[in-house]
Amino acid sequence: MNVTALLAVAAFALALLAIFGTLYVGAVRSHRRGDLGIEGIRILRWAIAGQLVIYALLAVTAFLG
Amino acid sequence: MTAVPEAVARPGVPARDAASGLPPYTARLLRWSFAIGVLPPLALIAALAVKSLYLLTFVHVICGGTWTGFDLFMGLVMTRVMTLLDVPTRVEVAKRLTPTTFFILPSLAAVAVTSGIYLSQAEGKFDLGSPWILAAGVVVLILTVQGFGIFMPNGLRIFIELAKRQPDTTKIARLNMRNIRLAGVQAALQVAIIVIMAHLAVY
Repeated sequence: MNVTALLAVAAFALALLAIFGTLYVGAVRSHRRGDLGIEGIRILRWAIAGQLVIYALLAVTAFLG
Repeated sequence: MTAVPEAVARPGVPARDAASGLPPYTARLLRWSFAIGVLPPLALIAALAVKSLYLLTFVHVICGGTWTGFDLFMGLVMTRVMTLLDVPTRVEVAKRLTPTTFFILPSLAAVAVTSGIYLSQAEGKFDLGSPWILAAGVVVLILTVQGFGIFMPNGLRIFIELAKRQPDTTKIARLNMRNIRLAGVQAALQVAIIVIMAHLAVY
């Protein structure tokens, strides 16, 4: 197992979650104010989940490299 | 319920979701982007699983080349085209460009870098004392910071703005132009990294 690669992917995934999480919280606030439709929140969740799937696949490579 | 004007489909103009400003094709383009975006990591998994140096090299070159080519196109061609468009038309381009590239570009970038590290390790070139490897690392670090700090958050901000009942079209156009211009900067850095890669491949 390539520990360095696994840690790097985990660090990138956490950075992504931190940045996207902040934007998501802002979007949820907009939704509560009535500025943003629920479809927008769903799309955001989908976008964040999709990015995490790509990072999960990259994490798999750490066990093969 | 009274239909909002945006929800009424006009010929050639897709209907918008009545509950948000998102056009119905956004989810479809995102799904397409995701379907393409998972291919590079899957190809990298395959290359490592079968322990094929040839396939690993292919994955690295095709991902790096496509990423560079895309950024060159965005920086050299799309900036020229976009600056000639009015704001509403730029927004229409952003509505389609952002979801289509949302998964593909980060995936290409991540796999190009990851496969490059595996490749340099496999060829015994991953020497952190080498100025060429260090130079590659510095360029990759700048590209990564730009990607995480500017590109992806801007993409998400465009989605959020598009999903609002009253989207700020000026903000969408500004964020999209910022991403396209930044792609030009990324292209210049990628040309620099290709110079480094060519050196590492030959010497």
